[in-house]
Amino acid sequence: MDPSGIFSTSYRQDRRLVRTKWQVLTLLAFIALLFLAPLFASPRVIAIGNVMLISAVVAVGLQICTGYAGQINLGQAAFMGVGAYTAGLLASKYQMSFLLTVPLAGLSAAAFGFLFGLTAVRIKGFYLALTTIAAQFIFHFSVLNLPSSWMGGSNGVIVPAATLFGYRISTETAQYYMILVFTVILVAGAFGIVRSRFGRAFIAVRDDDVAAGIMGINVARTKATAFLIGAFYAGVGGALWAYLIRFVGVDQFTLFNSIFFIAMIIVGGMGSITGALIGVFIIRMIQEIIATVGPNIAEAVPFLGGEIVFAGMNMFLGGVIALFMILEPKGLMHRWNIIKSSYRIWPFPY
Amino acid sequence: MDFLNYVINGALIGLLYALIAMGFVVIYRASKVFNFAQGELVILGGFIVWYTSFELGLNLWLAIPISLIASAFAGYLIERIFLTKLIGESVFSMVMVTVGLLIFLRGFILLVFGPAVRPFPIVFPLRPLFIGDLLIPMNLLIGGGITIVCAVGLSWFFNKTRPGLRMTAVAEDHVVASSMGISVKHSIAAAWIIGAVLSTMGAIIFLSGKSLTFLASDIGFAALPVALFAGLESIGGLILAGVIVGVAQGLATAYLDPIIGGSIGTVMPFIIMLGILLVRPTGLFGWRTIERV
Repeated sequence: MDPSGIFSTSYRQDRRLVRTKWQVLTLLAFIALLFLAPLFASPRVIAIGNVMLISAVVAVGLQICTGYAGQINLGQAAFMGVGAYTAGLLASKYQMSFLLTVPLAGLSAAAFGFLFGLTAVRIKGFYLALTTIAAQFIFHFSVLNLPSSWMGGSNGVIVPAATLFGYRISTETAQYYMILVFTVILVAGAFGIVRSRFGRAFIAVRDDDVAAGIMGINVARTKATAFLIGAFYAGVGGALWAYLIRFVGVDQFTLFNSIFFIAMIIVGGMGSITGALIGVFIIRMIQEIIATVGPNIAEAVPFLGGEIVFAGMNMFLGGVIALFMILEPKGLMHRWNIIKSSYRIWPFPY
Repeated sequence: MDFLNYVINGALIGLLYALIAMGFVVIYRASKVFNFAQGELVILGGFIVWYTSFELGLNLWLAIPISLIASAFAGYLIERIFLTKLIGESVFSMVMVTVGLLIFLRGFILLVFGPAVRPFPIVFPLRPLFIGDLLIPMNLLIGGGITIVCAVGLSWFFNKTRPGLRMTAVAEDHVVASSMGISVKHSIAAAWIIGAVLSTMGAIIFLSGKSLTFLASDIGFAALPVALFAGLESIGGLILAGVIVGVAQGLATAYLDPIIGGSIGTVMPFIIMLGILLVRPTGLFGWRTIERV
């Protein structure tokens, strides 16, 4: 809802994303802040920022697939892994530039995701969740059991640093800028997708696929497209991850990681791109806090043992998912929207 | 002879999967909740048995009933904390809460019982049974018997008795069931209690005389295909589905693994599962749901 006094007088104006002067200003300020952050942030903060930005790409993809199109996807980490392996292998074996490998990684993950999108045409709900878990197992199994000359087997793939015009992108700061540019493009793209005819079709299918079909939407194609787009984002995220860590191994993309991405969109709010970004920020921050505080607790209370970080992470993650599903199933973004509309229409009750 | 040996052992392992899948099916059958945390319930039961028999040092015949009661209580507690508030919610909420439960229980078990490898009491004789050249592990043989008894008993309970039919109505639809005067809450609580007890029995049969770590929870995922193959609502069908999946896995391990050189046996249940999902999602004996608009 717009603040009082702002009325759209044309269709163009009505479908704008950024609607008021203040929104333009704050958005520009936020992007400028992101680009200037390395000037004053410590290396550790930048390292955390890198992981957050990559998670943001993957979580936004999941948000389109699960939050907008309503297709439960517990295999997002496997799709990310397909992208990471594609980029890693293309870069290490064929010395391709990252400008080429990152989109190709997205496309290969999208193809893998599309396969599972096709199953979504026949089944839904719980059965679909099972199929996407199967994607996770198939990914794991094929990487470990295919000949190790193909995908490195359990040894993983060592990825060379990305280079642009002869400059090696190997420092944290340089990687930060590379990842930030991709993230900004992809997130802007996501905002575009969800307000296009595709996005409206996704929402219609999520709310009721039979009704959507009656309105003339091709439900099968829409579901498959949702998986395609979601997996593309995951693949790009995976490629960026490969260039950041410079090593790709199958243990980086487990069911546990998929559940992490789901937790992010649940906390942030289903069906909101901004919500996905907020969820990424909150979950990663708390994860970072547990990783920092955990060892200290383990030292102070020795009988708990060194496993406390992993155990604490598990309990936190499971607890957060269950708690939000029970108490705030629409996520933080929903709460914020209620606050926003109440101050915008103030002093009127509705 | 080798072939017969693989088939029989496969079938017995399949019956073990069927017992663990039974916990899953009972919970679904009476509450319409798909419990992804089935494997975690199994190791929770395993750790309770370990705690009562080794840490408290109780006699085995005292420890096992106490463990079954304790796990029933744990099942009730889980239901109270995580699931009572979700009655009538969407499939997505249910799936996500049990996925959250999976992760939560894994962390909880790690925190309470620690990561160390624990011994598990020898409940069934370790000496396998020899019939000619056939070699049959005792724990799986007795376990198979228990599975069949449980399946027949629960099948009768859900299809013939009044309380069982009441719980079946809850699986059809929460709102309709409660408007017919059936307490959805009680039904779900009962389901989780039975599910947790069955999981603990599965843990005893599976782990008897072996070592116990939280990696044993993988059996929960191996049991899912059995539940799906039988159809999520069918308890009697679990026996047939379990035997088929178990035999397929046994034969794949015996004859395909040497050719491919990989662990095709361990993924066999998942390959079967994908096949079922694509061809016939309702399984062998599941209910066909007709959707009306």
